[in-house]
Amino acid sequence: MIAEEHLDREALELAEALQPIHHPPHSFFRKYLWSLDHKVIAKQYLWSGLIFLLVGGTLAMVIRWQWAFPGRAVPVLGPVFFRDSGGAVGPAQYMQVFTMHGLIMIFFAITPILIGAFGNYCIPLLIGARDMAFPWLNALSYWVFALSLCLVIGSFLGELGAAGAGWTTYPPLSTNVGTPGSGQTLMVAAVFVTGVSSIMGGINYVTTVIRLRAPGMTYFRMPLTVWGLFLTAVLNVLFVPVLGSAALLLLLDRTLGTQFYLAGAATQGGGDPILFQHLFWIFGHPEVYILILPAWGIVGDLLAYFSRKPANWYRGSVLSMVAVTVLSAVVYGHHMFMTGINPLLGQGFMVLTLIISIPAELLFLNWLRTIWKGSMRLTTPMLFALGMVFVFGLGGLTGLYLGAVAPDFYLHDTMFVVGHFHFTMAAASFLASFAGLYFWFPKMFGRSMSEPLGKTHFWVTVVGITLVFGGQLLAGYSGQHRRLYDPFVYQYLQPLRALNRYTSYAAFILFLGQLAFIWNFFHSLVRGPKAEANPWQVGTLEWSIPSPPPMHNFDHLPVVRRGPHELSSPEVRARLGRDWIGQAEVLPDAHDVPKTAPARG
Amino acid sequence: MNAFLLAAGPLGVGLPLDASKEGWRIDEMINVTSLFVLLIFAIMIVWMAWSIFGHGPKHEAVHDHGERRSSWLWTVAVAGLIFVVVDGDLLVRTLVAVNRIYWNFDWAEQQPNAVRVEINAHQWAWAVRYAGPDGVFNTADDVVTLNEVVLPKDAPALFQVASTDVLHSFNVPNMRMKVDAVPGTINRMWFTPALVGDYEIGCAQHCGANHYKMQGMVHVVEPAEFRQWLAAASANSRQGFDPQDGAAHWGWDWAEHTRAR
Repeated sequence: MIAEEHLDREALELAEALQPIHHPPHSFFRKYLWSLDHKVIAKQYLWSGLIFLLVGGTLAMVIRWQWAFPGRAVPVLGPVFFRDSGGAVGPAQYMQVFTMHGLIMIFFAITPILIGAFGNYCIPLLIGARDMAFPWLNALSYWVFALSLCLVIGSFLGELGAAGAGWTTYPPLSTNVGTPGSGQTLMVAAVFVTGVSSIMGGINYVTTVIRLRAPGMTYFRMPLTVWGLFLTAVLNVLFVPVLGSAALLLLLDRTLGTQFYLAGAATQGGGDPILFQHLFWIFGHPEVYILILPAWGIVGDLLAYFSRKPANWYRGSVLSMVAVTVLSAVVYGHHMFMTGINPLLGQGFMVLTLIISIPAELLFLNWLRTIWKGSMRLTTPMLFALGMVFVFGLGGLTGLYLGAVAPDFYLHDTMFVVGHFHFTMAAASFLASFAGLYFWFPKMFGRSMSEPLGKTHFWVTVVGITLVFGGQLLAGYSGQHRRLYDPFVYQYLQPLRALNRYTSYAAFILFLGQLAFIWNFFHSLVRGPKAEANPWQVGTLEWSIPSPPPMHNFDHLPVVRRGPHELSSPEVRARLGRDWIGQAEVLPDAHDVPKTAPARG
Repeated sequence: MNAFLLAAGPLGVGLPLDASKEGWRIDEMINVTSLFVLLIFAIMIVWMAWSIFGHGPKHEAVHDHGERRSSWLWTVAVAGLIFVVVDGDLLVRTLVAVNRIYWNFDWAEQQPNAVRVEINAHQWAWAVRYAGPDGVFNTADDVVTLNEVVLPKDAPALFQVASTDVLHSFNVPNMRMKVDAVPGTINRMWFTPALVGDYEIGCAQHCGANHYKMQGMVHVVEPAEFRQWLAAASANSRQGFDPQDGAAHWGWDWAEHTRAR
């Protein structure tokens, strides 16, 4: 015991020496723009992501309008954005709308919120550090990201309109052969630049987790949130460069007349369009996990916190997330079953894809067992976490059909695929993001959000999401393929008019329901009741410091003594009279405890 | 099994009519997996509801990390069971279907009644070519159509698919089959039409503004009617054949592309 304390003290002195306390800046520029504080940078990402989430969501409403009422003038937006066509969306504009919707949601809404905001905010606070390992690089990564946002806005202003080759940007359509004009070029550039930012962020996150964990914060004592963000950062560092090279070659094809991706009679190019698909999906499949791993982590923690129970088989969850991270690199071929892939390769990718369902199932079962026999508190963050489990169940299970070659012959490129990846990447990621926002809002801004409004927001969102993406699954099952300006030019899709229209109504309600969040967010920001240091009664490190935390986070760096989910422990209850204990809290010896301690917290 | 699967449910939801000889395999895979999925999902809902309503704030939480061997073995066993039954079923069925049928081009090529069709996709139409009576593509007796594929019932229909400009995907939902049309590459697919009728062709891969209009039609007819049609159409083409028109001779040598890449 004495030796251990001695080691702790030595480690603590070293950590304190490594991370001295800096004085907070006073100038507006250093405080809000070029801030080196990870918490400020997190908020910069959050604001950017929320604004572009609104843009991406609005584009989604245009798509849904088009499927409900093909070719009819769009209310409100039509007279402003589609003036030349009398307020209606034309086929060429339509393809720009769905392309920009996809790219914005993935790279400029989910990524900044889930990875940029939560990654920056949570990693140092949850591992007991004073900032990121490279604060200057951190600020740079945000401003490079901001540059990519400018390119996105520039794309909308392109002379032939915005990018239109689909979010997957497959050549030759994405070259000048299919989509000439600066809009597409700027969007490819935006993806490249945002990739540079992601790599900077990734290097920072990985280094921070490896080097700056507080004394005693072993890997297996890290909250699952940190694990998710850490593994996402590893994937970003490994695979975003592949996307970068794919985008760079495409930019060269578009601007300098190279022919990396051009082939066929019309272009006489000597390149290979399929090369792009390999590069894109080597990144693109890990990307799916890049966007879901932080969500898994957040939900894994929240389910434990609000069930007042330790996360079930924590190590199993961690190892499952690691296994998914490793396997995510070798399953990408299931996106390419229809490209004339070698049959042996196709079947190999199928087997690997099905294998990835094992760790995913373990993770899922751990969540279900975590909430079992708990003492559940249905707070807003918990509702969103449970909602995420629900939609991820649907999203994960529908992936089975698409991982196997034979059902994919029929389902590939149908709305079934669209429904599947919206349930996983959109629904699950956003519900987890909302869970995290409601959970950490008091810490971030020092004020509390309204629970009734939060719950209203939850019910509209989870019901809306299920109906919208469920409707997509059903349309795809019935044969409706993707990206159709007017699906009903096909005779066999005629019976699906009503389904598409009802799905659109659900989407409009889902969109309007977000007003509850917007109002709650801004109102609470200004008028919300002051938050306590630990409103949720949770033991992780960020709740042991004031809300909001000072710039240097911890006056004294903590010495961590236990895992993140030590909830409802009989020992803690007996000695402290509450059902939680801080990760760095010293449990008083049994004989120091007054006999009359209250039985339950 | 098939009968109940084909009926379109409320809101028009349901698999489109399966007009091929092999499509039942895919339908059965989709529907069996759906049964498993719905079962698992139902169990999940009940489990979650029980936890929410049965183990609320009044219930005392059990302090259990679930790290005992007996506990995690239980989790692993359930995951393993789901994997073996659900994934295993899909895997075995798919391996059989793909190796015996869908990617077994050698077998289809050897059938004496097989019909061979070359498809050249471009923005935004399908050019279709039959070899004609001489059995050789790119000759004067080739039959060329636009967006119309005529096929005899009960004969394997083999397609070689290419594109001149951007990616397309030759998709016949009623035959449960599609394959990408890739510039610079020739891809293959095959199916056996089993029901006389007209079935829509759609482009499944985003190919530009008029992607949605890249439609076509498969006409499945009796074998005798097909022979008649082909002979008449071939006689027609021979008359209109222009050896100087290079662009019209986009066909390729079939045999060169009958091996997997």
